[in-house]
Amino acid sequence: MAKSKIEEYAKIIRPQNFDELMLLAEKVRGRRLRMVNATSVGGGVAEILTRVVPLFNELGIKTKWEAIKGSGEFFGVTKAFHNALHGSKTDITEQMLNIYNETNKANLADMSFDDDVVIIHDPQPAGLIAAKENSKAKWVWRCHIDTSHPQPDVWNFLKGFVEKYDASIFSTPWFAKGLPIPQYFIYPAIDPLAEKNRELSAHEINAVLQKYKLDRSRPIITQVSRFDYLKDPLGVIETYKLVKKHIDCQLVLAGGGASDDPEGGQVLKEVQEAAGNDKDIHVLLLPDFADLEINALQRASTVVLQKSLREGFGLTVTEALWKAKPVVASAVGGITLQVIHNFTGLLVHSIEGAAYQIRYLINNPQAAKKLGEYGREHVREKFLITRKLRNYLLLFLALENAGKDIIQL
Amino acid sequence: MIAKTPFEFHTSSQLVAITGRKAADLNEFLAILKEIEDSSIFYHVHHAFREYQFAPGLYTNDFAHWVGDELNENVLAEKLANINIKDYTEIKSLRARIAEIVDNYLQANPDSGRLKARHKFYFCKNVGIIQKTRYAAWDLEEFCGMLHRVGLRSLFFHFFEARLRLGRKSNDFSDWIKFNFGDERLARQIEALDPYLYTMDQLRDQMIGLICGNKDTIMGRILKWLKAR
Repeated sequence: MAKSKIEEYAKIIRPQNFDELMLLAEKVRGRRLRMVNATSVGGGVAEILTRVVPLFNELGIKTKWEAIKGSGEFFGVTKAFHNALHGSKTDITEQMLNIYNETNKANLADMSFDDDVVIIHDPQPAGLIAAKENSKAKWVWRCHIDTSHPQPDVWNFLKGFVEKYDASIFSTPWFAKGLPIPQYFIYPAIDPLAEKNRELSAHEINAVLQKYKLDRSRPIITQVSRFDYLKDPLGVIETYKLVKKHIDCQLVLAGGGASDDPEGGQVLKEVQEAAGNDKDIHVLLLPDFADLEINALQRASTVVLQKSLREGFGLTVTEALWKAKPVVASAVGGITLQVIHNFTGLLVHSIEGAAYQIRYLINNPQAAKKLGEYGREHVREKFLITRKLRNYLLLFLALENAGKDIIQL
Repeated sequence: MIAKTPFEFHTSSQLVAITGRKAADLNEFLAILKEIEDSSIFYHVHHAFREYQFAPGLYTNDFAHWVGDELNENVLAEKLANINIKDYTEIKSLRARIAEIVDNYLQANPDSGRLKARHKFYFCKNVGIIQKTRYAAWDLEEFCGMLHRVGLRSLFFHFFEARLRLGRKSNDFSDWIKFNFGDERLARQIEALDPYLYTMDQLRDQMIGLICGNKDTIMGRILKWLKAR
């Protein structure tokens, strides 16, 4: 995969913001950073780390990235944790907690933490905090999921680990918990130069449409997400069916799998059953690194839908906004930070609401265009990778100046 | 004319911290507002202004936003939105004014205090990280040129943060012009700008117009030429 050079971002963001990023990097150059998450491939976290780690190194932050190892059983447990933290009723047994603890312990045996800052992503590797007592690093727990209404027993179990960190990061203020450690708020971000987001030629887009037998002369409604109940793919099909009664349109439900998500196969099966024989429903299970395809599908879409029931942040929404697409999305989790109703997109609360707004946008292309334009500017200011890099640099400085509200460099 | 001391442009970056304090209704909101850290008040009266630069005037301060959107208390929301932050040079008096408005409203509408919001108000605060840039201006023409080149965070720091958060009574630009060039009229004109009604880009243009637009400088000539087109 081609790596982007940091200078290339100066053409995308305001040059002054780029200069300020470089100025800030001078102050933390040489720091050693370690990122740890659950998987090196699949899902939003791995995707952003793939992009962010080389850029950190280019800025002079010596950054390493490791994914923990675990059995299918372990990832079954952490998927159950994930669902429970999102608020779904899930049975958690003593044995599951043991599997979690043992896997984290086994990983510790293979890892060392001789860094200045260690950032642990999400619940799966949170138990690695046990290594803190033998490490000089500042430890940060980065939570990417919506923990606003967690199942209490799972949160209390996890809290036992999180409280030992030096700081935590959440994607929105309302995901934050009552914790005795500082909690910061950093938006996730997309990389505008990544294969999934770079500008594409008409030829590249058309090639993908031909490959998947999509007809560009009719409206295309697209949802890109993993096959996960919380993304409500069955609700997406219901929405499409309501729209289809009025407009001859096509639906694309495209997503890949992730090695830490064992539920995906079952969800995909149900989605395929719900799609039945409708030739205008395109259920696409994309392989890893199908970024060009996703990019083209989003760019070719008339409307991008994100009908999630729960959402951490919703980076697929960010991607669509960046492509200046009109977005219809559920008012859940971090989506509400990105889609400001009637300004950068349209927020909905039901299948019926989603269907109505999609019909509105297809019939009002000028309004759709305006929403798309504002959406793109919104992302440029807040949700690009350069902003995320900047925030992490600020975090290093805040960790080194704990307790201060104003830090004069 | 050369300045006695150069204007050294600084910039200020903000890392947002979550305080953990949250309000579900106006009574809770008022109680927390009275005791929350100064940096939280500063954050919430500037957050929307800083973040929605591409959409001037659409958003006011976060307090007004929450009261209007989440509690449907539109009269109070408008009163809060109408607070001119520029009238204040210290957080203490700004906080007292916001509290007074909410307090008066609750006295007149006691039931409003217990109405539950659809979403709670989460009090955040920011950690300000201040850094000197490589720009230092020795005269007004150079100053205008640099004002174009520095980031909007720099403008924010010297115009808003220095004035309200660091307790300087005026914006840094006016102070420098008054001290170095004795031009009190120009200093007053800059201080009199109503910055919260502009985007930062517009504010920058207004300042450059005031400083260089009417002078026979290269920058002034460029501005006149642009205007004539």
